[in-house]
Amino acid sequence: MATKPKIRELLDESACAHNKTKTAGCNKTVPGATTGGCAFEGSQISLFPYADAAHLVHGPITCVGASWETRLTRTSWQGRDMTQMGFTTGISTNDVVFGGEEKLRQSIDYIVGHYAPQAVFVYSTCVTAMIGDDIDAVCRQAQQDHGIPMVPVHAPGFVGGKNLGSRLAGEAVLTHLIGTLEPEETTPFDINLIGDYNVTGDMWQYAPLLKELGIRILSTLSGDGRVARIRTAHRAHLNVLVCAKSLISLPRKLKEKYGIPFISVSFYGKRDTSASILAIAEGLGDADLIARTKQLIAREEARLEERLAPYREIFRGKKAVLNTGGNKSWSIASALQDLGIEVVATSVKKSTQVDKEKARKYLGEKGVLMTNPGAEQAKIIDQTGADLLLAGGRSLYTAIKKKIAFADVNQEKKKSYGGYEGLLNLAEDLKNALENPVFKNVARRAPWEK
Amino acid sequence: MGEISHKIEKPLQINPIRLSQPMGAALAFLGIDGCMPLMHGGMGCTSFTKVFLTRHFCEPIAIQTTAVTDVTAILDGGDSSIVEAVHNITKKVTPSLVGLHTTGLTETKGDDIRGAAKQVDFPMVYVHTADYEGGLESGWGKTVKAIIEQLVEERSQVQSDKVVLLPHVSMQPIEVEKLKDFIALFGLEVVALPDLSTSLDGHLGEKQSALSSGGVKVEAIVSMADAATVISVGASMQLSAEALLKKNAAMRHIHMDHVQGLVATDALVEQLLALTGMEQPPASVVRWRKRLQDVMLDSHFSLGQTRVMVTGEPDFVAGACELLSEAGARISVALSTVDSPQLEAINAAKVMVGDLEDAEKLQAEYDLIVGSMHAEALAHRFGKALVLRGFPCWEIVGNQLKNDLLYEGGAYFLCETANAAEAMRMGSHD
Repeated sequence: MATKPKIRELLDESACAHNKTKTAGCNKTVPGATTGGCAFEGSQISLFPYADAAHLVHGPITCVGASWETRLTRTSWQGRDMTQMGFTTGISTNDVVFGGEEKLRQSIDYIVGHYAPQAVFVYSTCVTAMIGDDIDAVCRQAQQDHGIPMVPVHAPGFVGGKNLGSRLAGEAVLTHLIGTLEPEETTPFDINLIGDYNVTGDMWQYAPLLKELGIRILSTLSGDGRVARIRTAHRAHLNVLVCAKSLISLPRKLKEKYGIPFISVSFYGKRDTSASILAIAEGLGDADLIARTKQLIAREEARLEERLAPYREIFRGKKAVLNTGGNKSWSIASALQDLGIEVVATSVKKSTQVDKEKARKYLGEKGVLMTNPGAEQAKIIDQTGADLLLAGGRSLYTAIKKKIAFADVNQEKKKSYGGYEGLLNLAEDLKNALENPVFKNVARRAPWEK
Repeated sequence: MGEISHKIEKPLQINPIRLSQPMGAALAFLGIDGCMPLMHGGMGCTSFTKVFLTRHFCEPIAIQTTAVTDVTAILDGGDSSIVEAVHNITKKVTPSLVGLHTTGLTETKGDDIRGAAKQVDFPMVYVHTADYEGGLESGWGKTVKAIIEQLVEERSQVQSDKVVLLPHVSMQPIEVEKLKDFIALFGLEVVALPDLSTSLDGHLGEKQSALSSGGVKVEAIVSMADAATVISVGASMQLSAEALLKKNAAMRHIHMDHVQGLVATDALVEQLLALTGMEQPPASVVRWRKRLQDVMLDSHFSLGQTRVMVTGEPDFVAGACELLSEAGARISVALSTVDSPQLEAINAAKVMVGDLEDAEKLQAEYDLIVGSMHAEALAHRFGKALVLRGFPCWEIVGNQLKNDLLYEGGAYFLCETANAAEAMRMGSHD
C-alpha cells in the first residue's frame, strides 16, 4: 500500500504556475543564500495541527527539539492537545550505525499505549532517510497491530523547501487517510478546508459564518482537524484551498480521483473575505444559498464598516511596506487597503506567477513588487517615507532601525487577522503600532552625543 | 547526593528538553566579532536554529547554511556546497572568521570538512557537531575547543594580569559581562571566549548583517595564550581549558564547576585574591556578599518549605541547584538535558537525564519548576510555580539581562524564586 511519493512528479505540479518559468518547480536552494525552512518543516506545519494525532519525528533531536510548541495553532479538541507536544525517536549514534527501525516501532507502541491517539504520523528526516530506515514497513505493521492509522510522511529536509514538504504531507494524507472511512451523514453543502492551519484561530473567524449559511466543514487539512474527519474527505462537494500554493497538488488530485471541484481563496481583508464566502456558495451551485450568502455579506460588511470608522482617520495617508510570503503578498495588501492604508511595496519572493499578477493588480502600476525584500525593503521605506512595516519577526530589526511601526503577520503572530473580525484585530494592532512613541524615544540622541 | 540515572530508559523522547550540538556551535560562533557561523546541513537545521535563537534573544541572528539537498547529499563529498556558500556570502561581506560546523546529515555522509576548509580563503574554524550526539552544551564546548586549537598561537611568556574566561553555554550575555567585571575589579584584564556579552546583549546594532556583531575579536583569540590565567566555568569547558593550556605551559588554570551561590563565589574570590596578592576584595564585592547573606535569610522561610525541580543544561542545573540549596530549598528533581560528569556533583534528591514527560510523572514531588518555556504547560496543568530559565524562553523578554551569578545575581535569583513560590501558595488558597 505505502508507495513513497515521487518527488519529481510533485515538483512538476501542473496546477502550479511556477512550472511555466524556467526554474522548474520549487526545489532550488543556494548554499549561503537560503534562509527558509526545509521540507520536514513544511510537513510539520501542514499536519501538526491535527491535535488528536501523535506526531512522531524519526530523527535526531534538532528536527523537533528546536521546533515543538512553536506555532499558535488552536484547536477545539477536548483531549490532550498533541500539536503542542514533541515526540521524537531522538536517534543516537548507535541508531545511525545499526538502523533505527526497532526503536521507531517501540516508540509507536509506547505512544499508543500511553496517549491513545487517533492516529500516529511518522516523519522521516534527513538522517533516517539517509540510513534507509523503512518507515513504511514499520507503519504498516504497527497499523495492523494497533488498528489505528499510521501515516508515514516522507519529507526529509534535504528534498527541498517548506512548500514541497507541505505537498508531501498532503500526499501522505491522500494515500493513507482520505477515503478510508465513510461519514455518518452527508449534506449537499459539505466542503473541505485545505491549507488553513488555524494559526491564532484564523479559521474560527469565518467558520461561524459558513455554519450560519448551512455550509458544513466536513473536514480540514488541517486547522482544528480530526483524523476521523479527514478520512471522510472524499465525500465533500467542494474543496476550498485557503493557502494558494503549498498544498495545491492535493485538491487537484482529489478532483482527478473523486471528481471534487476546488477553488482557491483568501480570508484576509474585507473584499477577499466577502469574495471567498461568495465563491464557496457559488462553488456549491445552489441559487438560494448564493442569495442568502449575498445578504449575509452585505450585513457583515455594513457592521464592519461601522466598527472600522474610528480607525479610518488614523490610517489616512499612511503608507505600508509588506514583506511576507505566498498568497499573503497580495491578501494582506488587500486587507491593508481595506483599512485605507496605501501599500507601496510587497514581497513576491515566495509567490507564484498567479500571486504576482494579483499583487500587481492590488498594488497598481506604482507599487513595488520586491523580489529580494531583505535587501530592498529598507531602501523602499526611505524612498517612500513609509510609516509601517508588516513582516515576519526577522524583519523587526529593519523596522526598528528605520524607526517605523511594525506588525508581525507571519507565523509568530499572536492574534488572528483573518475574516471580518480579524481585520478589526489588525486595525487595532496597527493603530497601537502607529501611536507608540517608542520609535521616537529610541531615536533620541544621548546628551553627550551632540 | 541522591539517586542518579544517566540515560533515558524509554525508546523515545516526549516533550524533549534536549537541544542540538549544531545549535550550541552556532551560538558559540556568534560570540566572535564579524563571524559567519556556517551550518553544514539541510536548510531546515539552520532555519530552526535561527528562529529559535531570534525568538530567545529578541535579536537578529546571523547564521548561514550550506543547504544540502538530496543531490548533494548523495553525490557531493561536502566540499562544493561549503565552498559555494562561502563564495556567495563573501560577495557581499568580509567575515573575520567562518565558523563551519556539521549536522547529523553531513556527519552521516561523512563529509571531509577539514579538506573543505583548506579550499576557503578566509580564516576558518571547523568542528564536528553531529546532532545525534551530545547537546547544546557539548556543541558549544567542542566549538570553543576547536577555536582554540585552530586559531590560538602558541606562546611561552605570560602577561601576569591577563585572564581568559571560558563561560559555559547557559551563561546569559549579562552574566558573562558581570563575571568579566567582577574579575576586572581585582585589577585583572579579562578576555572571554566566546563573548556573548558584547554580541547578544540587546544593544541596538548599527546594521543588520550576515555576520555577528560584537563579541571577542579574532586577533584577541589568536593572541590569547599570553594570559597568565585561564578560568573555565562549567564542566563542559574543561576540555577547552586543557586545549588552551597546551598553547602555553606557563598558564595557570582555575576551574569552577559554576559560580552560583555563596560557597562557589567565595571560592572564586579566594582564588582571585591569591592571584593578585590582594588582602581584601573591592568594597562592592564585600557589600554584595552581605546582601546575598541577608537575602538567604529573608528567602529561607519560603524556600525552606519549597520542593524544587530544576531542568536544563547540566552546567546550569548544577549551579542553580547549589544556589537554591544554600537557602534551604529542597531540590527533589534535577532534570538534565544530557548526561555529563557534572551530574555526579549535583545537590539533589534525584538526578536524571530525561524529558518533560518524566517531569510530568514526577509532578507530585515538586512545587516549583526552574526551567524553560516548555515547562509552562506542565506548571499550568499541575499548578506549579515557575521560574523561567534556560533555552528556550520565547514568550518573555529580557533573557539576556537575567543575572543569577556571583553574590549579586544569586541575591536576585533567590528573591525571584521565593516570590514565585509564595505567589503559587497564595494562588492555591483561593
